[in-house]
Amino acid sequence: MRDAFSTALVAAARADERVLLLTGDHGYALFDGIRQACPDRFLNAGVAEQNMVGVAAGLAKGGFRPVVYGLSAFVPVRVLEQIKIDVCYENLPVLFVGDGAGFVYSHLGTSHQSTEDVAAIRAVPNLTILSPADAAELTACFELALTLNGPVYLRMGKADLGVVHDAPPRMTLGGLVPVRAGDGPLAWIATGSMVRTAMVAAARWPGSAVYSAPCLKPLDAEEVAAVCRRHRTVVTVEEHSVFGGLGGAVAEIAADRAPTFVCRVGVDDRFSEKCGSYQYLLGEHGLDAGSVARRVEEFLRRQTAGLSWAA
Amino acid sequence: MTRFDPTRLRATVLRMAHAGSTVHIGCAFSLVEVLAVLYRSHLRLGAGPDDVTRDYLVLSKGHGVMAQYACLYELGWLTDADLDRYFADGTRLKGLSDAHVPGLEVTSGSLGHGLSVGVGLALAARRKGTGQRCFAVVGDGEMNEGSMWEALLFAAHFKLSNLVVVVDANGFQAMGRTDEVMGLGKLADKFATFGLHAREVDGHDEAAFDAAVRAALADPEPRPKAIVARTVKGKGVSFMADDNRWHYTRLTPETYAAAVRELAPAAGGVQHA
Repeated sequence: MRDAFSTALVAAARADERVLLLTGDHGYALFDGIRQACPDRFLNAGVAEQNMVGVAAGLAKGGFRPVVYGLSAFVPVRVLEQIKIDVCYENLPVLFVGDGAGFVYSHLGTSHQSTEDVAAIRAVPNLTILSPADAAELTACFELALTLNGPVYLRMGKADLGVVHDAPPRMTLGGLVPVRAGDGPLAWIATGSMVRTAMVAAARWPGSAVYSAPCLKPLDAEEVAAVCRRHRTVVTVEEHSVFGGLGGAVAEIAADRAPTFVCRVGVDDRFSEKCGSYQYLLGEHGLDAGSVARRVEEFLRRQTAGLSWAA
Repeated sequence: MTRFDPTRLRATVLRMAHAGSTVHIGCAFSLVEVLAVLYRSHLRLGAGPDDVTRDYLVLSKGHGVMAQYACLYELGWLTDADLDRYFADGTRLKGLSDAHVPGLEVTSGSLGHGLSVGVGLALAARRKGTGQRCFAVVGDGEMNEGSMWEALLFAAHFKLSNLVVVVDANGFQAMGRTDEVMGLGKLADKFATFGLHAREVDGHDEAAFDAAVRAALADPEPRPKAIVARTVKGKGVSFMADDNRWHYTRLTPETYAAAVRELAPAAGGVQHA
């Protein structure tokens, strides 16, 4: 996914002289491509993210198309106010790329882990939130972002969980991308790194439909409501808090338009406790494919039995 | 009559504060001569507020925005209705700087934002070769914010010689004197060690401030410029000067009348309803 990002960035910079990359001293070899192809478009703003976002706002006001790169733990979280006031209030075309979303920086601990970034920014008006599942979706998301004349947050998660698409999918703003057709009682809507995991877990329920949601905001309410109407239960899967991310967004739409059981699989309301690998932390948080399937089974068992969730 | 006459600008601020029953009068009054000199003599204003080739006046200390409104009124970019209906429901001018108002560059009031945006504007102008300058007016209290120092580091590192930072150093922040709340030490020295052209000057002495701006713009070194303008909060009305209560206090009919009496004779017969 990072290679696809670098390739898309270089292509964008070559195609449009207004495109500039700002980094808060992160990325290193990731930016070899742009530094080689367009060295004057690469700006290291230093370890100073607040100023970097303000500078990006000024550059955008001055006619440039800044791409602001940082770890998703810092951009957008550390600079939420700059994004709100300096960029989004004026609807400026700044593309924020938050790398290492979820538990990617597993061994480094809480400071570098990022499971609240989407929730933090979902309530900021004008901001589009993109969350690609693999390199192909990243390419499509990057291209879409550059066609939007406003602020975008592109959430980049784990790169090597497996390919979802053979080629960049056709992507519309807010639309779901069908990954597997099915007319069974379950539909799965997953985003980012968890699309592949959802495909694996969904295999236990023949007839499951699986969708990728590369666009978390806007999210096409009519399309999601249609999925809700076609299936008895919708499972959402994300490497993000169960609060305020994909699951929250789908549940809001279901509540408004098509009351449906929504099984929100994500990070529960707690931090990581232990040090460990990425796979270890997915297990700790119940986000490996086996754990996801067990969580859904438990949800369905309670749903079928009419049992209280409070137990 | 002098364009951007400071007393007339203060009268306009009072007129708005009276109409809208607003606070932050002291924050606006300390800025008046600084803005007057910049608007009168240095800002290249182009064809109007929508002209994208204008020089930038970024008011990072958005609390002083009434002084900038007074300048925009002087330019004819704001109307009598804007002044007299200030804070009325459905009107466009807010209590803090707002970039949606033509002529204002940034949304500020949450402190520590405007300078960074100004740095970006200066960088954009340099990269495009437009020759535009950016004057960023910041508060001394605002210098508590770490983002201000991030912006100065960046501006110096990238040698933004078209950036002029003006500190409205009135010695107060919301809760008290800056020396007591969060001492800044010798600001001009700090700017100099950050690699900026730095001068300190009386911010109410128009000739001295004008000379400082000219010296800054004439500085041959490829570096950003900074001017620490020593000012008095509430300057211009005797009972407001150097009294921090005028950060928060609203005018009463009596204080309004008394302030107008002090300003009106020198303000060219400014009449207030």
